[in-house]
Amino acid sequence: MRGARSAKWVAGAIVVALAATACGGGDDTGSDDMNKGKADPNGIVTAQLSEPQNPLQPANAKESQGSRVLRTIFAGLVDYEPGTGELEYVNAESVTPNDDSSEWTVKLKAGWKFHDGTPVTAQSYVDSWNWSANIKNNQTNSSWFADIVGYEDVHPEKGDPKTDKMSGLKVVDETTFTVKLTQPVSYFAYKLGYDVWAPLPEAFFKDPEKYGENPIGNGPYKFVSWEHNKLIKVRKFDGYKGPNKAKNGGIDFKNYTTADAAYSDLRSNNVDWIEQVPTTALTNYKTDLGDRAIDQEYSAVQSIVPAFYTKTFKDIDPKVIQGLSMAIDRETITKTVLQGTRTPADSYVAPGVLGYKKGALGDIVKFDAAQAKKLIQEGGGVPGNKIQIQYNADQDHKPWVDAVCNSIRKSTGVDCVGDPKPTFQADLDARDNDEVKSMYRGGWVLDYPVNSNFMRDLYGTTAAGNTSGYSNKEFDELSSEADKASSIDETVKLYQEAEQLLAKDMPAIPLWFYKVNSGQSTNILGKIPYGQDGDPIFDQVQVKQK
Amino acid sequence: MPDVTKAQTTDEALLDAVAPPAVEVPAGQDEKKSDKPRSLWGDAWYDLRHRPMFWVSSVLLFLLIVIAAFPGLFTSVDPRDGDLVNHYLSKPELTHFFQPDWFGYDQQGRSIYARVVHGTRASILVGVGVTAVVTLVGALLGMLAGYFGGWVDSVISRLTDIFFGIPFLLGTMVVLNAFTERKVYVVILALAFLGWTSIARVTRSSVITAKQADYVTAARALGAGTSRILFRHVMPNAIAPTIVVATIALGGYISAEATLSFLGLGLSDPTISWGIDISEGSKVIRDNPHTLLFPAGMLSLTVFAFIMLGDAVRDALDPKLR
Repeated sequence: MRGARSAKWVAGAIVVALAATACGGGDDTGSDDMNKGKADPNGIVTAQLSEPQNPLQPANAKESQGSRVLRTIFAGLVDYEPGTGELEYVNAESVTPNDDSSEWTVKLKAGWKFHDGTPVTAQSYVDSWNWSANIKNNQTNSSWFADIVGYEDVHPEKGDPKTDKMSGLKVVDETTFTVKLTQPVSYFAYKLGYDVWAPLPEAFFKDPEKYGENPIGNGPYKFVSWEHNKLIKVRKFDGYKGPNKAKNGGIDFKNYTTADAAYSDLRSNNVDWIEQVPTTALTNYKTDLGDRAIDQEYSAVQSIVPAFYTKTFKDIDPKVIQGLSMAIDRETITKTVLQGTRTPADSYVAPGVLGYKKGALGDIVKFDAAQAKKLIQEGGGVPGNKIQIQYNADQDHKPWVDAVCNSIRKSTGVDCVGDPKPTFQADLDARDNDEVKSMYRGGWVLDYPVNSNFMRDLYGTTAAGNTSGYSNKEFDELSSEADKASSIDETVKLYQEAEQLLAKDMPAIPLWFYKVNSGQSTNILGKIPYGQDGDPIFDQVQVKQK
Repeated sequence: MPDVTKAQTTDEALLDAVAPPAVEVPAGQDEKKSDKPRSLWGDAWYDLRHRPMFWVSSVLLFLLIVIAAFPGLFTSVDPRDGDLVNHYLSKPELTHFFQPDWFGYDQQGRSIYARVVHGTRASILVGVGVTAVVTLVGALLGMLAGYFGGWVDSVISRLTDIFFGIPFLLGTMVVLNAFTERKVYVVILALAFLGWTSIARVTRSSVITAKQADYVTAARALGAGTSRILFRHVMPNAIAPTIVVATIALGGYISAEATLSFLGLGLSDPTISWGIDISEGSKVIRDNPHTLLFPAGMLSLTVFAFIMLGDAVRDALDPKLR
């Protein structure tokens, strides 16, 4: 149910872990009685967390850790059905567009309260958005409000804001407000599921900084305490009126610095859920944990992207890139080197997102050495007959980069080597400053479950996520046409057409979709449900009665 | 290392055994004329020949050098060629001598035997290369400092102290971090950048003792120029401790390269190095120890051979330290 993480590049799903933990004893394998027993409505779930980067303000969490906590404290206007990505209303009664989707009317459910007892009104939303968008308040995710009329006035490129209110937001009555957009966006309602659109109580505006240490939300959990670098506690909010009432008594977010430590704590039931099994335990975690192992797909894709400003790819025939794509044996690499932590990609769009079509890219992502060689020859070959793949060496990317290179070299004779950058930051800097030498590794987690997020936000000429210098007028036109479409179904369909256009032009080579490889303790009743962004839906987790 | 004492003992050995300057009697030739007193080098060679340790390490090193020079003689398999479909982490077949599957396959489906063979060159090159650069630079600076003394000595000695004060591995990592593509010569220069100090110190102290010897005074009295005295008289008699230190350090440089490569800061692809393979192998060690054991074993063997040779040479050149 719970939705999107921010627009951000994924550093990688596998946490780097150097030390091999000794295989501690304990016969805690395969518990058949995972589904037996009664749920304790007041049981506490303990979960792994790293220290959030910023104070806990809704528009200030561009990374997953702060976001994980925020999403338990706040309930947004809408949310998404996991698996299908269908929209469902939470705090909103309805979110309806006008004829051309340029103006939206939001009606709230009546009677909702913040944790401090003050009512949630249309004004709480409008004030919150105005504050978060304001450049003075320096929120990392303020660009999310850029669609709204008047955003330039509160968030100018340079200088001070002209006003502190966006003219596109109007409060109609206690529970109704309207949002005017600069251009039609048929799926605007889908964006509203993300953290940044949360409402804020009056207490926030008195001292936003203090609030960041002690947030008050409108969600299924209320914030209790934050011991920095140690523990964050949230507890069930009894006055919660939404559809996703907490099925447990609360969550203790425990801080871990290594994946190995978290994993051994999971095995001894000191923590109920961890983010990711350490690399060293990947081959064994299923035997270690039995039924309690979690092996779950989520909506994220990894690809390699040609830097189109380099000599090699400046005037390349897309056929060559298609050939390179067909030279990669995704099936074998995901099974062997990646140890089943990814599944081969068959589309630019990740599964679980509206508009994902199985096999959308057809043969281009199928391994066929002979055809790959042929396509590269037809396209005039790779200039210099050599490519490099840039990646960040602070995470476990080398094994698959080497494997992809071996596959390309072996099947086409094009030489290929990895180009490691010491840190994720250095990797991103090289991409942002157009310093990539040949190709780079790209990863993308959904922000909202519509296929446009995986295409327009990455391959549009002016998109923030487009760092490869790719530009295709035809695609840009088609995508703005799709945004203006009268219904979301039509938007999705038009983007599917756009995907076929991309398949011919190859702005990137999709490799595989991410999976969560994790586990749960014996204290949990049933399987932990997951959202599309690879995080658990904490309010639906049930704890066994002791 | 007690540099000064060693230099003195060497010098005493020289004074005892060497009537003419050592260099004039090429090593090994005096065997037949056993009635004549042997030079330092002759004595050392005589001593070496009777040490099994010397022969074991020499044979080992000879073999390693042949492997490094002609890897094609030992395997015809391309070490970068991975076959994930058939060979992903295949176990070693210890009876298939010199076959690609002898040591098994790594997580990229590459023959570990082929990688071990092809990785030899990088390690030997780095070891020998660093030693050569370090000896050249260190000995030259040490000789100048020791022979001229005064302000030359002060400047060079303080410089040595400064470089000596920088932690070796840490400093090298900082230097290497500046390079994105790290080929063999880059690693050699980075290691040599901080590695020359001990050689300079040893050479300086032995030159100081050597220059006070009577034959140097005699040569000077006969009107020999500075360069003649330095290179014909002082150097041949002061170089022994330098050679000892250099030979022993060689093994250390090889393992330093492996350490750096393990940390991802040494040699980079497509160069094949044992350090890189050890680093990759360590990630799958729980179920596949062979990916780590064979490159690590070869590394240990090589370092062991060089250090053993260094030990033997030291014992031969420095009888009093035995």
